[in-house]
Amino acid sequence: MADAGLLEAAAQGSHAAFAEIVNRHFQPVYRLVWRMTGGAADAEDLAQEAFVKLWKSPSQVREGAALKGWLMRVASNAVIDGSRRLKPSALDDAPEIRDPQARPDAPLDREQAARLVDARIAALPDRQRQALSLVYFEGLTNVEAADAMEVSVDALESLLARARRSLKDSLSAEWRDLLGGLAETGR
Amino acid sequence: MTNGQHSQVPPDAAEAREIDAVLSLASVPPLPEGAAARLMARIAQEPQENKVVAFAPRRAAPPRSALRYAAALPLAASLALGIYLGAKGTLDFMLPTVITGDVALSEDAPDDLGGVGEADAYAEENLS
Repeated sequence: MADAGLLEAAAQGSHAAFAEIVNRHFQPVYRLVWRMTGGAADAEDLAQEAFVKLWKSPSQVREGAALKGWLMRVASNAVIDGSRRLKPSALDDAPEIRDPQARPDAPLDREQAARLVDARIAALPDRQRQALSLVYFEGLTNVEAADAMEVSVDALESLLARARRSLKDSLSAEWRDLLGGLAETGR
Repeated sequence: MTNGQHSQVPPDAAEAREIDAVLSLASVPPLPEGAAARLMARIAQEPQENKVVAFAPRRAAPPRSALRYAAALPLAASLALGIYLGAKGTLDFMLPTVITGDVALSEDAPDDLGGVGEADAYAEENLS
């Protein structure tokens, strides 16, 4: 059944239909919140809020096809509005876990690289991080992401370009190291 | 990628490719176990808001009476009588002469108000 049908059934009070909506969309919404909060412990609670809001008032979604975008918008706006994301200092801003036997200039391992990139993404300005998360990590098209963020496609593309540039600048010291690690792992 | 291949890639495209590669290093957070069940348990306790606005019931209209048409007949008869008397002039003596009198005409009014009578004179160029 399409989202529109599920939404209509959920509006009539069907828990089964709503469970299917949760099954389809909770994971991407959770991932978005997790990334926007820098992996905060309350990411699950924040993601839940969007679904509770939907359950309480399903008529807020005008078109069933726009359900995913609506959930993404509500969840990410909740993160931004509440300034709930952790400060970069609360994250592992730098990959400190190194093997003491290893050389100081040894390349980052995969986990360290992931944590470093996560931290730099979490440090991006809210809207840039939101745009990057929606398009790059959740696979929304530019049009869908612009709709979810309630901005024009041009504005979204500008946010994406600035996010990518900021990310590269913030990782400039480790850039070659990261790419070298990718080359070694054959990615 | 070889150096030869790399040199054919525009700098912007190469940089975009590098950024994409670095972004692919980011973590993919797994959904916490039982998260969906916890959400549905919470949903079960949340009432839905009313979706229907309850309007006050419309007041029933009073039953229509046939008497509402009772005035129609006298009004129609009055109209017909007025037309008849007006046409006959039977009651004109009761009306002011401004209404019933003859139309006043000015004896000084020129016969040829439109100047049509002078058309021949213009045609013969007697007037300019």
